Amino acid sequence: MTGSPTSDDDIIIRVRGLRNQFDSQVVHDNLDLDIRRGEIIGIVGGSGTGKSVLLRSIIGLQTPADGTIEVLGYDARNLSEADAKELRRSWGVLFQNGALFTSLTVAENVQVPLREYYAMDERLLDELAAFKIALVGLPREAGEKYPSDLSGGMKKRAGLARALALDPKILFLDEPTAGLDPIGAAAIDDLVRRLRDTLGLTVFLITHDLDTLHSICDRIAVLAEKRVIAVAPMEELLEFQHPWVQEYFKGPRGRAAMQTQLDAGA
Amino acid sequence: MTELHGADIAVEENDDVSRIQISGPLTVAEAGEAYARLEGVRAGKSRRLILDLAGVSAMDTTGAWLLHRFMREWRKAGSDVALDQASSEFTALIQQAESHDSGCPDHPRQPSLIIRELAALGAATVRVADRFGLLLAFFGLVLARFGRQIVHPRRIRWVALSNQMERIGLNALPIIGLMSFLIGLVLVQQGAFQLRKFGAEVFVVDLVSISTLRELGVLLTAIMVAGRSGSAFTAQIGTMRLTEEVDAMRTIGVDPVDTLVLPRMIALILLMPLLVFYASMIALIGAVLFAWASLDIPVDTFLARMRSTVTMNDFLVGMIKAPVFGMIIAVAGCFEGMQVSGDAASVGERTTISVVESIFMVIVLDAFFAVFFSAIGI
Repeated sequence: MTGSPTSDDDIIIRVRGLRNQFDSQVVHDNLDLDIRRGEIIGIVGGSGTGKSVLLRSIIGLQTPADGTIEVLGYDARNLSEADAKELRRSWGVLFQNGALFTSLTVAENVQVPLREYYAMDERLLDELAAFKIALVGLPREAGEKYPSDLSGGMKKRAGLARALALDPKILFLDEPTAGLDPIGAAAIDDLVRRLRDTLGLTVFLITHDLDTLHSICDRIAVLAEKRVIAVAPMEELLEFQHPWVQEYFKGPRGRAAMQTQLDAGA
Repeated sequence: MTELHGADIAVEENDDVSRIQISGPLTVAEAGEAYARLEGVRAGKSRRLILDLAGVSAMDTTGAWLLHRFMREWRKAGSDVALDQASSEFTALIQQAESHDSGCPDHPRQPSLIIRELAALGAATVRVADRFGLLLAFFGLVLARFGRQIVHPRRIRWVALSNQMERIGLNALPIIGLMSFLIGLVLVQQGAFQLRKFGAEVFVVDLVSISTLRELGVLLTAIMVAGRSGSAFTAQIGTMRLTEEVDAMRTIGVDPVDTLVLPRMIALILLMPLLVFYASMIALIGAVLFAWASLDIPVDTFLARMRSTVTMNDFLVGMIKAPVFGMIIAVAGCFEGMQVSGDAASVGERTTISVVESIFMVIVLDAFFAVFFSAIGI
């Protein structure tokens, strides 16, 4: 496992002093996070530590109470309409349950972003949709199906295909492997890493999957106590003295995943 | 995108070799244009194709797909294809595209219009028959459970029942009252306008009181309740089906018919007569007031006239229909809710169906009642 291939100055997402609260319940307080170009960063944290809220703040679905968020050099909280459009074209988001449009087939779902931004021949659109569907490991017939005909894992992959439609620079994944069988989960891991390697994608990955964390994440950010308490590669994090971190990575599941990783490396 | 320059594509042919030089970025932003240009180059023109990628500054999966499909067409036409000066990343991307080519998405040939229409008609017929069978089965199940609860009243979910009664009955009083008042008023106004031509204005009392007590009170209340509560039943139960709450109840051993359907049905059976009585009285009050204010028919004349024409039977004919309609609305609403499956759109669809279905059945049944009552001379 090597660190980020880019220099430390190459920050693609910069979060400073982020504060999020719902009524009196404070989720984030003075949260800082830097994400480097071309890295796969895993976000971990216990339930209710605001992993999804952090994601939603960065992509503009949640207005923070305070703080600055900079994505690709844009101030994500004060965007002109044109900049917002440009920014949205540069990222792909996979929501937890896929968030597919129910009235469209999977292929049409994948074509939605392409149609929104570019003028393309129908035949090319069909081919690109089929390509992206194959890329995420769905069978060819899945393209003509409606989301309600798909299983949870298939919906997730279809959502990933849609997130990849525009060949984004940043990929936001909210628990991409949850609910997938281990083979499917490993395939998703492999795909994410391959896309990063070939396209230089930056991947923001919320996950509880210890195998994913071990095998593809360059760095891992730990959310606790309303902020990011640590950002580091896995090896350093294992040495990090915090009860939750120790429990998380060195509990029975953490050890099993680590062993798998060691065996694979040997 | 205004800064689009597109990929430059230069074609160079000598002897049996086509050399295509591509330069500039080849990403999703340029894909539409690049596709059109590459389509302009006829595949298989030469025996050998060389794609020179030396000038390509950037490529993503969309660009790789474009090159892959171009090479695929040439190969299909029998040419040798080679990449020249492709970086290892670009080669990897193109290989990735190649290994995920599942063939062109095919659109199956449509059968002719007549066949399609016939098939749709057949499918609709089967569906209607199917649904009718399902509805009957559901009705039977509900009746059986209803019987069991009457024998064992301890099984009745009292909290759910009173909760439903508040929502269906109490909360509906203002809107049903307003509707009935206006209907009574309009009936008198329209009736009097016609009867005045014959100098028989006072017969408007017969018209209003008999039609309200026998038909209008119960029909309008049923329609209002179907729209207000029947639709809510479908939406509530349907949403619970989507979130697997109904399945969870089953696995825990809580019967959904006992807990979801029966409280709603019992509440409607009990409340419909009360609501109909209330609606009829308010309609008559509206009629009396309008007759007095605008037609100069004094209240005591109105009441005396009513007493001499309206019989107890007129009142009972209306009231006896009320619980039956209530039951129909509840069963249709809950049945459609239970039929929800798949996605959120299904809830909306089923809600519409449930309202249309229950109003339709209420009106059909009302016609049967009318025939029946006239046959036995009431």
